[in-house]
Amino acid sequence: MVFLNLPLLVRARGPDEFWRKRRIFKLAAHYRSRTRNVYTFAIRSVHRALAYATKGRKLKKLDMAQLWTTRVEAGCQQYGVALDTFKEGLARSDILLNKKMLSDLAIWEPRSFEVLVNISRERAAVEGLPDIKRRSAFNQVYGLSNLKLD
Amino acid sequence: MSFLAQSVRQVLRHTTQHVSLNGAMRALSISPALLQQNKPAPSTIDVSAIAKEHSKAIQSVCEKINQQVAKSEQGRLFAVVHLCGKQFKITPGDIILVEGYWPPTIGDEISLDKVLLAGARDFTLIGRPILEPGLVTVKATIIEKTLTHTKTHFKKKRRKQYMRINFQRSPNTMIRINSIELTRPVEHNAADAPPSLRLF
Repeated sequence: MVFLNLPLLVRARGPDEFWRKRRIFKLAAHYRSRTRNVYTFAIRSVHRALAYATKGRKLKKLDMAQLWTTRVEAGCQQYGVALDTFKEGLARSDILLNKKMLSDLAIWEPRSFEVLVNISRERAAVEGLPDIKRRSAFNQVYGLSNLKLD
Repeated sequence: MSFLAQSVRQVLRHTTQHVSLNGAMRALSISPALLQQNKPAPSTIDVSAIAKEHSKAIQSVCEKINQQVAKSEQGRLFAVVHLCGKQFKITPGDIILVEGYWPPTIGDEISLDKVLLAGARDFTLIGRPILEPGLVTVKATIIEKTLTHTKTHFKKKRRKQYMRINFQRSPNTMIRINSIELTRPVEHNAADAPPSLRLF
């Protein structure tokens, strides 16, 4: 049996006003000034905050990636190697550590990081990457032109 | 621009001296010729003797490492492992967090095989890209499987009557690293050994 009378066509207003507002006020409880107490202001700032939080989860990942890059770059600068050359040298030596690991190593395992820089620089010199002016240390010692190490 | 023009003029002037393009590029370089170190290497050099000497040097390093491990003086090892598409720097006793769906259940003991790098106080083993299977054993236990806190996914467009809200929780797994050990001596010619049947 279907009722087609007028009250059923009225738009439902959702839950009771008190509960609807309380959900928002709970989220706004720690805000300052009228954004805490006045619903019109509270809902504006809560919506904005939630939208920022959603976007921020992606931004956090990008920020971390940027931070790791900066750290690895600083680690390379200690040894006078550019970041691009360092990464290219590592990749060509089949060392596939990511930026996060390299930055961790640069901070907490400086001696391991120095070894990585040396390997990368040697490879860059042997392969003749444009950034490296000197010949590879190994080849200078033995007076070779470009012996490939494997 | 004037700097470039000057160097181009220089190259033109030097064409008689440097016939090859290579020489021209060298003349363009800003760094002084002394720094470039392009001395031709002597061609008559016995490469095999050098290779032998080189391998002897590597052998001595390996022996030093093996001696230290035999006397168990190497201290606590750390390792970089590849797990679920991420790399972790771990040491025994650590707890690492794997995000997202991952089948193992609580209490499972697993060994992490993709070891990219292992190090101690005095040496570092670097894999290309991973160390040979069986060289370093990393044992771990799954200790907890939970969900993340509720993340609110909220989108809104102003003046467009558009608003979406979703709530999501993704699975998280905690793993404790039990031990990291060097299980067999480090060898120089490990690459020449018959290829293992294990593939990654």
